[in-house]
Amino acid sequence: MKWKLGLIGLLALPLSAWAQQPYAGKTLTIIVGYKAGGGYDATARLLARHLPKHIPGKPTVIVQNMPGANSMIAANHVYNVAKPDGLTIGTFNRNLPVAQLTNVQGVKYDMTKFAWIGSAASECTILALRTDLQINSVEDLRRAKQPLVIGATGPGANTYDFPLLLKEFLGFNLKIVTGYQSSADIMLAIERKEVDGRAGSFTSIRPFIDRKLVRPVLRARADEPGVEQLPIDEDLATNPRAKAIMALRSAPEIVGRPYVMHPDTSPEHLKIMREAFAKAIDDKELIAEATKAKMELNYVGADVAVKVMKEMLSQPKDVVEEFSKYVKFGE
Amino acid sequence: MLEALLEGLVLVLQWKALAFMLLGILLGFWVGLLPGLGGATTLAQMLPFVYTMQPVEAFAFLLGMHSVTATTGDITSVLFGVPGEAASAATILDGYAMAKKGEAGRALGAALASSLVGALVGAFALAAAIPIVRPLVLTFGSPELFMLAVVGLAFIAALSSQGGRGMLRGFLAGALGLFLATIGQDPQAGVARYALGTLYLWQGLDLVPVLVGLFAIPEIIDLVVRGTSIAGALPAGKLSRGALEGVKDTFRHFWLTIRCSLIGTFIGIMPGMGGAVAQWMAYGHATQSARTAEERKGFGQGDVRGVLGPGAANNSKEGGSLIPTIAFGVPGSTAMAILLGGFFLLGLVPGPDMLSKHLAVTFSMVWTIVIANVITVIACFALLNKLAQLTTVRGSLLIPVILVLVFIGSYTSNNHYGDLVVTLLSGGVGYLMVLAGWPRAPFVLGLVLGKIAENYLYISTARYGAQWLTRPVVLVLIAIAVAVILYPLFQARRRAAAHA
Amino acid sequence: MHRKASFALSVLLMIASGYGVIAATAWPMKAALFPLVIGVPLFCLAAAEALWTLFGSAPAEAGEVRDFQLSVGKDTGRRALAAAAWILAFFAAIVLLGFPVAVPLFVFLYLRLQGRESWAVSIVMTAAVWGVFYGLFDLLLHLPFPAGWLLAWFGFS
Repeated sequence: MKWKLGLIGLLALPLSAWAQQPYAGKTLTIIVGYKAGGGYDATARLLARHLPKHIPGKPTVIVQNMPGANSMIAANHVYNVAKPDGLTIGTFNRNLPVAQLTNVQGVKYDMTKFAWIGSAASECTILALRTDLQINSVEDLRRAKQPLVIGATGPGANTYDFPLLLKEFLGFNLKIVTGYQSSADIMLAIERKEVDGRAGSFTSIRPFIDRKLVRPVLRARADEPGVEQLPIDEDLATNPRAKAIMALRSAPEIVGRPYVMHPDTSPEHLKIMREAFAKAIDDKELIAEATKAKMELNYVGADVAVKVMKEMLSQPKDVVEEFSKYVKFGE
Repeated sequence: MLEALLEGLVLVLQWKALAFMLLGILLGFWVGLLPGLGGATTLAQMLPFVYTMQPVEAFAFLLGMHSVTATTGDITSVLFGVPGEAASAATILDGYAMAKKGEAGRALGAALASSLVGALVGAFALAAAIPIVRPLVLTFGSPELFMLAVVGLAFIAALSSQGGRGMLRGFLAGALGLFLATIGQDPQAGVARYALGTLYLWQGLDLVPVLVGLFAIPEIIDLVVRGTSIAGALPAGKLSRGALEGVKDTFRHFWLTIRCSLIGTFIGIMPGMGGAVAQWMAYGHATQSARTAEERKGFGQGDVRGVLGPGAANNSKEGGSLIPTIAFGVPGSTAMAILLGGFFLLGLVPGPDMLSKHLAVTFSMVWTIVIANVITVIACFALLNKLAQLTTVRGSLLIPVILVLVFIGSYTSNNHYGDLVVTLLSGGVGYLMVLAGWPRAPFVLGLVLGKIAENYLYISTARYGAQWLTRPVVLVLIAIAVAVILYPLFQARRRAAAHA
Repeated sequence: MHRKASFALSVLLMIASGYGVIAATAWPMKAALFPLVIGVPLFCLAAAEALWTLFGSAPAEAGEVRDFQLSVGKDTGRRALAAAAWILAFFAAIVLLGFPVAVPLFVFLYLRLQGRESWAVSIVMTAAVWGVFYGLFDLLLHLPFPAGWLLAWFGFS
């Protein structure tokens, strides 16, 4: 009889080893909803380099690009097509909940049902104006006699939506000129004095703040190191509806670089991933590389992410209706 | 400034930097050659290695890799009629036609030599213009960029055949290109225009699948129909006119090559124009140099000038596009955006400092481009005549390989099957156009310039009201556009007078 | 052939631009402006070309095209159709079987059936192409090649 127990014990060994290291010898794929070269892609590649050491079993981590429809295609894929075996991670446009909220045609996912790993960074939107305009505070902004020309890329991008809400609800004298090919082109227009400023993520505008071309004046609610002293747009709004709409626009920025897996992913895989991400983002080498590349990562946990998603998607109908009048799904 | 020039050279000529540059060149050679090895994705994959390098080596590697792709992209265009890079598509028109006449070696020689001239002229024009380049870029605001797009569109007239019917078809092709450019989410109201219910078309048509389909597929069908090798029914299968002849051609038409290089550099310097435009404007300009009706007919059938123009322009624009990246921190293309990330490794902040305090570093980048191109061209020359032999290989052996390249090259734009569908449809349209005698070049111009023209027009009007029409540079550009449109008529009248 | 193709293309463009113009009228002005400004002239130009093809004089004007001319031979039409069929078949294979299977399959079949190459040549070329394809695009670059629909349906992947 004993030999039978021994045999079972022998068989159980590799099984238990497997249970300890479900990722050994496997390849983990991060699907990015944008082409190579952008912010989401760069973040994903940075993580891909440092994740393996923090995942028991040290799997290979590769990045694949699945651009299209402002990353809706990638989101649909991870939600519906990818296998729930814990080997596929998706990262895409932080504004995808807006698409779901405003019932955009083609949405085949539910942001609250994804298996959330968390967010690799918060991306706070700020409004920055040309330094030589001498506008250093919100009061200066209110007192501006000439309309301030704000360059934007298009509806759905924070370059457009943030100033639009400022104009509509806070009554600032802003003129939004849209159509620029990229936010970098808007910076050039600022240098040319064609426009007076732009809104955008703090990370992308920071080099120009450091160069003293522009100066930040206002920010949205997401917390990010470096923007703490700036006034928040919602705080300046008196009308609760306005506050709600601004908050709704800004909420996705807290989950600035979302990382999710298929809704049916097993809890153990999810747990391993969450821990790995948290550790990787704290990893010294990753931080060194990120600083070199002027990126700043900070882990926002899955619980916060899911909370934000649920809050966004359970807003009352009238709020959503008015929100849709201003904010469309775009970049 | 002279010291900065020399200092830059010294920076580049260090053993390790040179070694990494060579490595970059080797990689860039294949990236440019193979459709599907897109510059941006490959650069992004290379970044991890770059982070472990020393700064100077890092950008020698990146720039070395990047400057070469424009040159080798022409090789696939000439040999197989498949654009290796989106910027090499114009070379197909005459380059591949020459290959079919058995002059592949000559076409390759011309493409490479003009690429070298383009790179050199671009680099030196850049170096010379550095004092004025910031004011130059700052003067070209949205109204001026709109007018520049209009000048580009005016070349549609240059690329159409003469006579009422020819013009009609040229403008039809151009209008179709402009129309297809409106597909996608518009930046004014956010409407997903003409998305036909698909998510794929939200961001519009990607250039590479369209170009690959439009140019490669009709040629492949024709190759199957002919049943011969690419070089057609050559007597005794002997290839005429080797690569050296192509080099001589570059010098025979020296001033044309220089002019096209300058066009390329200028377009490269202008942020937001996009890399694909320069080659087509250069091609249009090259066709204008035809003096007689006979010569004009020759374009598209294998006139070496149709290779020299785009060959020079798509290299010179690389040097030019460094300027918005370095001096303003505004990358002109995805590849430049990645390069920008690489620049941060140096601890350098793109901006006016790069043109004053760190001028030596800027010059070292210019030198890198020059040296990388020289090395590439010299290294390739040994291969050129051998490569040309490929055009004598049985068509049936090459066709499956070319088709695989076509499909992969198109697929890797978006990693979506929609790319393949676009390629097939463009192939069908391209085939019909060739059958019907409609020129394809104006179509590409319209497609490439459509979005730029629309966006800048809206920005100009929103920002300046109607006043932008009276800005000095705008007026100059209007005059140029009119001149470009009327030039064919002017030429025709002069010819008629000469004959009378 | 010239005239028929030109007529077909013009009609195609008339349909496309017609649809485009009608669709554009539903959009807000800013989004619709350019499509209308281009679509309406496009329709008119296409109509002009179609009419000219139908009623115009002989195609002497076709001579001066700035583009290549298709070869004309004995059974051009049939061969062109065969070529198109192969291209479409390759596309179908990619969608149904996935790139990794479709590429070697197509290369092999084309070489054997259309090219009538020997077994040796076919196998060697197929192996070479597949080797480069797999090594470069799959192993090195990790490009995503989805499984073909047919294979996925049968449970392979």
